[in-house]
Amino acid sequence: MISIILLVVSAVALYLYTGSLLENEIEEELYSNKDRVEQLLIKDNDLKGIPPIMMVEKVGRSEREIIKDTLLYDPMQDEIELFRQLSGTKTIDGQNYRVTVRAMVIESEDILFAIVFIFVTIIFLAFIFLFYINKSRNEKLWKPFFVNLDKLKDFSLKSGKPLQLNESDIVEFDDLNREMLSLTTKVQADYRNLKQFTEDVSHEMQTPLAIMQAKIETIINDQHISDNQFEHLSSLQSDIQRLKQLNKRLILLAKINNNQFTDNKTVSINEVFEHAISNFHELTSVQIKSKGSSTINITMDRSLASVLCNNLLSNAVKHNIANNPITVFFEENRVRVTNSGTKALNNPDHIFDRFYKESKKPDSTGLGLSIVKKICDYYGFVPSYRYEKNNHVFQVDFVS
Amino acid sequence: MKYLIAEDEKELQQSIATYLSHDANVCETASDYHEASEKLELYEYDVVVLDINLITGSGLDLLKKLKKQHKKCGIIIISANNSLDDKLQGLDLGADDYITKPFHLAELNSRIKAVLRRGQFGGEDTITFQEIRLDTLARSAYVDDKPITLTRKEYDLLLFFITNQGRVLSKAIIAEHLWGDDSDLLDNFDFIYVHINNLRKKLTKEGAKYIQTAYGSGYKFIAD
Repeated sequence: MISIILLVVSAVALYLYTGSLLENEIEEELYSNKDRVEQLLIKDNDLKGIPPIMMVEKVGRSEREIIKDTLLYDPMQDEIELFRQLSGTKTIDGQNYRVTVRAMVIESEDILFAIVFIFVTIIFLAFIFLFYINKSRNEKLWKPFFVNLDKLKDFSLKSGKPLQLNESDIVEFDDLNREMLSLTTKVQADYRNLKQFTEDVSHEMQTPLAIMQAKIETIINDQHISDNQFEHLSSLQSDIQRLKQLNKRLILLAKINNNQFTDNKTVSINEVFEHAISNFHELTSVQIKSKGSSTINITMDRSLASVLCNNLLSNAVKHNIANNPITVFFEENRVRVTNSGTKALNNPDHIFDRFYKESKKPDSTGLGLSIVKKICDYYGFVPSYRYEKNNHVFQVDFVS
Repeated sequence: MKYLIAEDEKELQQSIATYLSHDANVCETASDYHEASEKLELYEYDVVVLDINLITGSGLDLLKKLKKQHKKCGIIIISANNSLDDKLQGLDLGADDYITKPFHLAELNSRIKAVLRRGQFGGEDTITFQEIRLDTLARSAYVDDKPITLTRKEYDLLLFFITNQGRVLSKAIIAEHLWGDDSDLLDNFDFIYVHINNLRKKLTKEGAKYIQTAYGSGYKFIAD
């Protein structure tokens, strides 16, 4: 911007300066020409001159010397041109002669045009030149930055691979790299710790739980206790069982997070569901029907497939009301599990969240559906929930 | 029978030992790797209950050692880690069973009995309790040598009762034995009641009395 202003100012200055320089030059020339004409006139009184450049006329009285601009028709060029003219009288032998000399003036527009043209050309060339120089230099300068930026974009916390940045000759970039490296290393370590933490805690809890359970059994076998005390101890056993389930599910979640399920095979979802349904027959009086004839074959870990089906079914069984039948619909690449309910969920958006419980059922760990979600995320399936016709509908689309 | 309980948690070790010594079994204990290793070198056991995470070493190493020495003993691994890999590794190395903490002592007992029954450790394929006889290979039951028809669950229940005879079994223990991890799906324990009632009926008047109610809600299988 500043350079454009400077260029405009210098162009104006150059224009004015060139104009005055040319004017001076022309005037000098006019004076010397006039002098020459006068010398010639002294020698030859009949000198007529070369119109319109030099003209000699006889005049009655002497006039002042005048220098002025005049427009004259130039027959040679067939246009009206601007001339600078100097006229003055010279007395030779008592006779007054008016001597007029003219010089064609370079038109100011022409000068302006020339200057502007030259400047624009210079600016344009300079711009292009600077642009390419800058571009190539910047490219070279920023190359390590952009290479590292790409690496940063590719960086994934989950992969566990350390971030490897290229070194450069630029101190600031190296500083940045160092900071990025220490930041990502720390974040990665924290992430690993966090992942490991759940698993470690769950495992560490198993032994104390085992001791508690063993002691309860020792008490009920070795000491005489009252029926009431036995009730309490029995319910403690159920609570330990709940903790055990919670642990098991937390460990499962941690394992999915750690990508520990790699044994992918073609699994018939229908088969897995049928197997799960037959298991449920022994555990609940609720009738479970399967409808639809589509066969769904998915490549996934078989144990995860059975966890997926079991969790969907057990969720339906747990939250079913009035012993209404539960239905599993098999459709093209999609499975739907419906159970009856009294009203839609208050927060359907949170239903797949960890430890989110819509109902106050005491025996729910709040992890069943979040495991469903996790497994779906792991394989790119889409789980969804909706409430229609007094039914809770949980659907899994196996093709996203 | 002579058992070795290799478990570094003293409390758990003692509870297991107490529970298992009820049937006139001899239970020795080891609290760390070296003690267990030493005892296994010196004595013969029918069954070793082996914790994978012993303080001073891995139970799996002990297992490898045992297998190298071709000791004729049943090995049941107990572990706090219920990952399939650990389980498979343990069984591949020659363990006879694998049980994850926390477990019921009655469950451990019935697993030990099952291991013993599998023959080579001096067990038998038949279990006799008064007039009841179970053929564990054919999974069939006889009362006074007359076959009775039992469902799978009823058979499991009867076997569980007989192997844990004289012990108080709460419904939670029975449910977990019969349905494993799925048992938390049970709305209540009515199902067990139904199974036990059916079993009682099939065992005839004579046999039904063995299944006694303990403390109102538990059960105890006992010969009068």
